[in-house]
Amino acid sequence: MTTPVLSVRDLTVSFPSEAGRVDAVRGVSFDVGQGRTLGIVGESGSGKSVTSLAVMGLLDDNARVGGSVMFEGQELLGRTDAQMSKIRGNGISMIFQDPLTSLTPVFSVGDQIVEALTIHDARLSRRAAWDRAVELLRLVGIPRPQERVKSFPHEFSGGMRQRVVIAIAMANNPRLIIADEPTTALDVTIQAQILDLIKTAQRETGAAVMMITHDMGVVANIADDVIVMYAGRPIEQAPVDTLFADTRMPYSIGLLGAIPRVDKSEKRPLVPIKGSPPLLVDLPDACPFAARCPIVTDACLTAEPELVAVGGHADHRAACVRAEEIRAGRLGDDPVYPVPEVPASTLETVPRELRKPTLEVENLTKTFPLLKGSFRKKKVGEVHAVKGVSFDIREGETMAIVGESGSGKTTTLLQIMDFAAQDDGDIRIVGTSVADLQGGRAERELRRDVQIVFQDPVGSLDPRMTVFDVVAEPLRTVGMPAADVGPRVDELMDLVGLDPAHSDRFPAAFSGGQRQRIGIARALATNPKLVVLDEPVSALDVSVQAGVINLLDELKVRLGLSYLFVAHDLSVVRHIADRVAVMYLGSFVEHGDVDAVFDDPQHPYTEALLSAIPVPDPVVERGREHIVLTGDLPSPTDTITGCAFVSRCPLFQTLDENERVACETKVPALSGRTGVHVNACHHR
Amino acid sequence: MVVAVTNLTYFLAWAYLDPRSNYVGRRPPLSEEQIVNLLEPRNLDDNVPLLERWWTWFSGIVFRWDWGVSPTGQSVNEQVAYRMWISAELMLGATLLLTLIGIGLGVYSASRQYRLGDRVAQGTSIITMNIPIVVAALGLVLLAIAFNNAVGSTIFYVTGASSPGVSGFFPTIVDTAQHIALPTAALVLVGYAQYHFLQRSLLLDNIKSDYVRMARAKGLTKQQAIRKHALRTSLIPVTTQVAFSIPGIFTGAVLTESIFAWKGMGQYFIETISKNDINGVVAVAAFGAVMTAIGAILADIAVVVLDPRVRVS
Repeated sequence: MTTPVLSVRDLTVSFPSEAGRVDAVRGVSFDVGQGRTLGIVGESGSGKSVTSLAVMGLLDDNARVGGSVMFEGQELLGRTDAQMSKIRGNGISMIFQDPLTSLTPVFSVGDQIVEALTIHDARLSRRAAWDRAVELLRLVGIPRPQERVKSFPHEFSGGMRQRVVIAIAMANNPRLIIADEPTTALDVTIQAQILDLIKTAQRETGAAVMMITHDMGVVANIADDVIVMYAGRPIEQAPVDTLFADTRMPYSIGLLGAIPRVDKSEKRPLVPIKGSPPLLVDLPDACPFAARCPIVTDACLTAEPELVAVGGHADHRAACVRAEEIRAGRLGDDPVYPVPEVPASTLETVPRELRKPTLEVENLTKTFPLLKGSFRKKKVGEVHAVKGVSFDIREGETMAIVGESGSGKTTTLLQIMDFAAQDDGDIRIVGTSVADLQGGRAERELRRDVQIVFQDPVGSLDPRMTVFDVVAEPLRTVGMPAADVGPRVDELMDLVGLDPAHSDRFPAAFSGGQRQRIGIARALATNPKLVVLDEPVSALDVSVQAGVINLLDELKVRLGLSYLFVAHDLSVVRHIADRVAVMYLGSFVEHGDVDAVFDDPQHPYTEALLSAIPVPDPVVERGREHIVLTGDLPSPTDTITGCAFVSRCPLFQTLDENERVACETKVPALSGRTGVHVNACHHR
Repeated sequence: MVVAVTNLTYFLAWAYLDPRSNYVGRRPPLSEEQIVNLLEPRNLDDNVPLLERWWTWFSGIVFRWDWGVSPTGQSVNEQVAYRMWISAELMLGATLLLTLIGIGLGVYSASRQYRLGDRVAQGTSIITMNIPIVVAALGLVLLAIAFNNAVGSTIFYVTGASSPGVSGFFPTIVDTAQHIALPTAALVLVGYAQYHFLQRSLLLDNIKSDYVRMARAKGLTKQQAIRKHALRTSLIPVTTQVAFSIPGIFTGAVLTESIFAWKGMGQYFIETISKNDINGVVAVAAFGAVMTAIGAILADIAVVVLDPRVRVS
């Protein structure tokens, strides 16, 4: 075997903090060979990003780094900033998470690529560097690179910017590319493009890749070897197939069990991992996962388990005292994680048509005027954020709207929450039309029936109100007597799985998942019929996300709620929704029962969207064909005469001239089996 | 806007100031008739209805660009035109110096956050920022006098903008430098700290930003990344503020000019108020308003030059 490109041994990183020394990374060892891809998975705070920054030498000055990092036979630790800068961007390059902030806003993208080239090759002429920059942009798939090279970062979309970042990373043919959550901030269709691109970059340069992510699907898609990190340590390390097929460590099992699958319809409840990761300060000499582990024994608490080979394979190593007992996620005949009970709903036995509708939306439209001029704003056009959307939600039903950012999902929600009167349509909530609302009193009455849970559990709770006040606020607003408020808040806290005794604390004292539960408790305070959920789990780690999803499922059954659910994560949607609508540029392109839509996607956009999601199973993932859409979402200010999807449609490319005419000139209407599964494509 | 402010000031000035009081109580006492004879041709007689006074004044500006005269008969136009450059002479150097020192120190201490250099620089700036200009100026005067006595000749002049009877190119420069050193030092001493703190905090925000880390990941050293990527972006808000302060060069420094007896705009402001010079006060206010407007325009231009994000495509 040749020497690995990167060889890390016993890497430790600690930071001073007010609470004491934080041991962010506690002994990580791995090798990455040429052309191989190493996936490092873990939740936030597991030390995966810190590991990558330690390799790059980009940690803050106050970080203390120990162990050894050998890059092509040279020790990197202990080098000065000047020495490291010769290697950074040349031998090792890095792709960061957020493409929106990782390019300097005041320099053109060309300047930034050229800088990466000339800093390592002083003899390269300006002319040659610019030519190479254009060449790189073409390589990463930026259309018209000659013109775009002079553009500034703000003129690019998020996906385009990430391409520029990858172009910079590829610029000097590095031997190692470190990608730190390169697709987390992007839409799924763009994610598929970027993952393909990273593979291309790897092929072009023959580089080793270190892929840091929290998404098991991405790992299954791209990695050869995987390290699962928890509390600053690798707890399982194996080739990708072994890891998914024969998971040994309970935490890895939990991570896999906690994610909903987009390719399976079973409505099993997800298996959440209870509790939250430990603080990395003064850890006791015990398994750091013991407090959350369902199969913990006394041996787990006596010493921290070493990472040792299991199952007789030298390349599969796990840090668990019971690793040999666990086979493929099962302990003996039982699963490691007990599957939680899911209560069955009495409403599910009633056919959909017989249930009462809680929300009916007819021809919802929202346009924003485009204004121009500095003094007198002249209207020069309109942005059609939502165009003629119609749907209904019945009692005890979850309706999900999915789509990329900018597709109009959130605008649809806000229109409903605003009780916006429609010119040529209607919104009816539990039978009451918003057009009939007269005065603030009637509006407040109706507002009891509709409540919202927001995406960001940190920003949506007032940090200066106690949890009690947060939950009690809607109760007081609707005029509940003060004596009844206290018991009701306790009841709500109990309902969402929080200890009522904690309600005198401030939101800052709770973790992300707990805060989202507080947000749900607040939404349930007024006994609504309909709860609107705007990406309620997308800001949460997977193990916590599963718990919140289960809670939502349970509440729906117990309280007979209806949900209007907006998400971009289709796996979550498949798990939680009964009906789904796929939105593209302000209109529904496909709408129907969730299993019908997911198992038999008819619109080319839905097809692409579904195929773009990486499945957390390397065998399935390799066999799947990804439809990679080209390009970005068109701007909603463009006037489109026919089907809005034409510019990116893979089906359109295969049509002959006559069939294309309809796509380009006629706006397709939703057609198919009404009420069950409809799509808006002329040819499906 | 400037026109509205100027007219409002005119009425406000008449409500508070009374040119007549300059003459009341003189020895020998002036008769009512004599006072009116002095004031009336200067459009300062309060026996004339206010609106008529205003129209005479306003039409003078609009049709002849004549801002009126002081109670002693000096032309306001001439005063402003002359004093503006005295102020500029003093303030230009001071503004340049305090901007450069402030930004330089800001960059220095931001790239050495929490180290000794940063702490010393910050501590010094906190102290100097809190010294009233009067104390700073008088302190410098005392030091300069002590210095002059020690070396036995007058190196630093503590009053005036120039000595009478100096001619020739080099002697004038040396003479000006001798006069200008102290007031400049006083202005810089109390003024630089604002830019120091602004630049430091802005740069620190940017040093921690993703694109600086990205620049380092490309192979720039930390110092190169800070100088090239962080500084450029953090200079945008600082430049805006500097652009706003440029017109201040011409409106002068009230206290400094008074202490060092420079006959600039700042001192003119005090003088017009104390002498009930209504036309002068209004002219100073109008000048200040115009300069603020120019500052805002300069700031906008500076942002457009520096920040491609606001350029109209």
